[in-house]
Amino acid sequence: MWGWWRLGKWTVLVMFLHIIAVLIFTKGFLLTRTELPHSSHCSDLSQSPCHSSSYCWTKPVVDRLIIIVLDALRFDFVAPSSFFEQKQPWMDRLKVLHRMTLVNPSSAKIFKAIADPPTTSLQRLKGLTTGALPTFIDVGNSFGAPAIVEDNFIKQLIQNGKRVVVMGDDTWTQLFPNNFNKSYPYPSFNVKDLNTVDNGCIEHLLPSLHQQDWDVLIAHFLGMDHAGHIYGVDSTPMIEKLEQYNAVLEKVIEEIQNQSGPGKLHENSLLLVMGDHGQTLNGDHGGGSPEEVETSIFAMSFKNLPTLPSEFVSSSCEPSKNICISSIHQLDFAVTVSSLLGVPFPFGSIGRVNPELYALAVGTWKLDDNKTWNNQDELKLEEWLQNYVNVICINSWQVKRYVDVYSASSVIGFSSEDLFHISDLYAKAKENQLNLSFDKNESSNTSLPVLKRQIVAYFEFLSYVAELARSKWTEFDLKLMVTGIGIMLFSIYCHILAIRKLNKSYVVSLPLSRDSGISFGLMLASFTVLMRASSLLSNSYILKEGKVANFLLATTCIVTLRFSFMMNKLLLEAIIFLLLIFICRIAIEIGLYKQAATSQFMSASSSWVLGISLSESMWIYIVEIVSILALIILGYFLYNAISSYCRGIAKCAMMGTILSYLLIALYWISESNILDLPHFLKGMGKTYIPRTIYSIGLGQILLMTFVPLFSKEEASSYKGSLYVKMISILSTCSSTIIILQGKQGAFVALGFLLAGYCMMKLQGIEQHSVGGAAKITILDPLPILQWSLLAVCLFFATGHWCAFDGLRYGAAFIGFDEFVLVPQAILLTIDTFGFSHIFSVFGLPLFVQMEHNSLLSINLFWIFMVYGLITATTATATIVCVAIQRRHLMVWGLFAPKFVFDVVGLILTDLLIFVASIYYF
Amino acid sequence: MKEELEKITPSKISSFQVFLIHVCCGLALAVGFWVAHNVYSINLIFDPTGTLRLIWAIEFPVVILLFSCFRQKPEKCSYLKAIARGLLGLPVGALINALGALALGAPAGLQYFERTVSWSLLMSSLTFVPTACVYGSCWTDWHRIFACTKPKGSLDFMLCLPAHGAVIGAWFGAWPMPLDWERPWQDWPICVSYGAMAGYVAGMVGSLGLALMHTGGKQLKAE
Repeated sequence: MWGWWRLGKWTVLVMFLHIIAVLIFTKGFLLTRTELPHSSHCSDLSQSPCHSSSYCWTKPVVDRLIIIVLDALRFDFVAPSSFFEQKQPWMDRLKVLHRMTLVNPSSAKIFKAIADPPTTSLQRLKGLTTGALPTFIDVGNSFGAPAIVEDNFIKQLIQNGKRVVVMGDDTWTQLFPNNFNKSYPYPSFNVKDLNTVDNGCIEHLLPSLHQQDWDVLIAHFLGMDHAGHIYGVDSTPMIEKLEQYNAVLEKVIEEIQNQSGPGKLHENSLLLVMGDHGQTLNGDHGGGSPEEVETSIFAMSFKNLPTLPSEFVSSSCEPSKNICISSIHQLDFAVTVSSLLGVPFPFGSIGRVNPELYALAVGTWKLDDNKTWNNQDELKLEEWLQNYVNVICINSWQVKRYVDVYSASSVIGFSSEDLFHISDLYAKAKENQLNLSFDKNESSNTSLPVLKRQIVAYFEFLSYVAELARSKWTEFDLKLMVTGIGIMLFSIYCHILAIRKLNKSYVVSLPLSRDSGISFGLMLASFTVLMRASSLLSNSYILKEGKVANFLLATTCIVTLRFSFMMNKLLLEAIIFLLLIFICRIAIEIGLYKQAATSQFMSASSSWVLGISLSESMWIYIVEIVSILALIILGYFLYNAISSYCRGIAKCAMMGTILSYLLIALYWISESNILDLPHFLKGMGKTYIPRTIYSIGLGQILLMTFVPLFSKEEASSYKGSLYVKMISILSTCSSTIIILQGKQGAFVALGFLLAGYCMMKLQGIEQHSVGGAAKITILDPLPILQWSLLAVCLFFATGHWCAFDGLRYGAAFIGFDEFVLVPQAILLTIDTFGFSHIFSVFGLPLFVQMEHNSLLSINLFWIFMVYGLITATTATATIVCVAIQRRHLMVWGLFAPKFVFDVVGLILTDLLIFVASIYYF
Repeated sequence: MKEELEKITPSKISSFQVFLIHVCCGLALAVGFWVAHNVYSINLIFDPTGTLRLIWAIEFPVVILLFSCFRQKPEKCSYLKAIARGLLGLPVGALINALGALALGAPAGLQYFERTVSWSLLMSSLTFVPTACVYGSCWTDWHRIFACTKPKGSLDFMLCLPAHGAVIGAWFGAWPMPLDWERPWQDWPICVSYGAMAGYVAGMVGSLGLALMHTGGKQLKAE
């Protein structure tokens, strides 16, 4: 143990420095908007300059509200296909909504709702109910939804005695625990399950419509989101879902219409059918592309209402069909609905009461006085406007109050200039309002233009605040960020110091050392690392990071090839290596193509075209057979290695891997349609085979951890025993990683193996004396750099990318049907970092050159340290670049996810190096 | 002129000849651009394939004719044979250049096929053909110039430096390609060709400088 500590203390030191630096920097960089604990109360209104009434804040307009949330509702699911250039199969499926808007255009309306990214369900529900802008840090919480502490619409409802019923997605009950009178939650995270949540919703929705024990009903349907994730938008399950929803909505509307007569249950009801976010054609969401951000709200009240003056209407109409579509920000939802129900607006809301949505419902309480809207249109309109002015006045006052409180309690809030501008705008609007009140006293007939001007003044104020909040709502704590970067740089200094020390002790203990200082390999490696580090400054290079890494890897490989030409040696290895890089490059491009389909920043044009037009099933068969073949080859190599090197326990352990490989092949066969297996057998295979593989892997790891403690095996050579250790741990990891990665896993593992072999052979080639045996006196960082670049390439080649929609959630459900946080998170981590981190760190002993024991451990540590340094340098560059680009347009869309991935990767690498160094020592 | 050149042993090439050859090669490139621009009114950005092919069509004959004059062992190898070697070297060099570019990430789609072919032909004439004309298939010479980078004498410098310059220039020329500036010249292989040509010219200047230094150094030594 002491021996380990002598060398290993550096890894521990560096790891701790990294963790501290990352924590401090993250605290400064991923700072959220400060959540204020205040909430609005009915009595607050007396402080406002607005016309106060006997009501709480606003006059309640709607008695009962039915909110039907359809998760991942794309805008083109709802809007008629005539709005788009081309009719797609998924359009025009919710026909009942079109019919309603056609029949009563003044009481039913389709809105295009624009969400603010990040467009994950949790963030959106938070945004919808609080009326605030969600911040980046919450994305991470999406898997274990925490309760909302900020003031929100639901809380206001409860405080004001409204009864709320919720059904469907259980995120609601997690966000608002113990708030609902009745709830029917269903688990939301099993992506493969399209029906449980929806059927539960349907089961409770229709009966609830007849009951009197609620004021607000929320039904959250989830099937469309899951169908999108698994099958994509253009698929039969998606269309079936849409048809199903159409039928449900038809029933709901019919039910409400039947009860909408005077004195009946739904006399004063409003129906909202809305999406929380959109989705891309692949079914992904999370980012800020128009497809993900644009969703829809369909609102319907069951009365006839006045039409709005055109100044406040933002709709685009389709003349041939008489359907108008307006647009609304999701930010405005909370406050608009609050005003309709007459509850105080959430304290932190910065939205405005949307006039069109408000107008849809607002006429309902006046209908008794005047049944003919056509007469006295102007008077009615004026009355409406007056009422609306009052609402928007309260709205503005509430927003102003929030801004004031926020800037008082938050250190770095808005700049004083902006605050001044806000106050200025508000003061102007308020002044108008006072004039208005005087006017009102003098003559009851306020002219329309004055009212309109007033509304415009408030709108100006509100939209300025929303705009400002959008642009500035990320508070960076520069001091913490700089401290974090400083510690990071210090850790790199320590790293280099440690490597130099190791180098020195290595050179000293080498009998025939000739100290030549800086080698070519060192220079090239440093140059490449610096190139890669500086490339992270640009968003374009981050987007195409896989290609950049591949470019650099290919460059170093070409240099190696040149050396091998120079030495006339190992040409075959160098050429195979280059070929592997070429294959890797193609895989990266396929990955990029997939990414482009979802990314908001990339155009989806592919630069490669497969000129193969094989029939699809044929293709699938070929892929299946070839992947199983790759697995067999892998198993064969492993078997050879076992039978020639391993003895005893190790052999036993590694036989387990072969068994795992067989099981994986079986799993793939059972998953495909090559063999017509009985259904129950397939189901068994689907859950039990992966679980068996996981447990075999776990058992192997336990075996390898504890057996060496009891039995000291004397190996013939230290290097040989190191290799045996390496093969056993790699094979142990490989089975789990391969099954998680799917069919590509076997190829990638095979390629990794081959590339590693080539690199091992090629290392230090420029120091080989021509024709003579290899005499390596200097430690060469070049192969380690290549190894690390290859790891980066494989991360991208296996279809990952540094964004949250790049996580392959499907992998978390291999062998599991339900969502359980811990195992799913572990599986997802293994899938994401399997090849690029776990495999590559444990494969590092490949590059050990020394046979001698004491030198071997120095060499091993040196390799680990250099690998760690390369990762740390890249991560530091990411951190610095993120800090520099913190005001960049894509900071949340691109730089922050990249930062998170790199930082997680760095800590993981440190940990793995720590574990590996103990294991191998 | 021809006979005169043949009499000289190729390893002893005067700096004036180096100058002459480099100027001719550089001029050929310039003429290529000029013709493309003024005669056919095409340029690299809007018609990369056509322009590259045109530049190649002017550059390649100049290169092959000039460098064949300096073929090694002229007594054993006729001028025509040297030209044939150059012609043979062209597709081989093009293939190697194209494969290198593809490994580094050049687009592999069919719609880029023509561009890649014309680019690699030009690259081959800048890098591969001169050496093929001069040294033929002599492995040791190739090895010396391209693998070990240990050129001896002005002739080797003349072959080695511009070729390396072109390759390194092309390598650097690829850097702006992923940037999102949405400029037409970021497309493959426009900026790479510019980089290659710039590198080639830089290599020629370097080679000329070295040739001058070399002769100067020799004179100094002789004195």
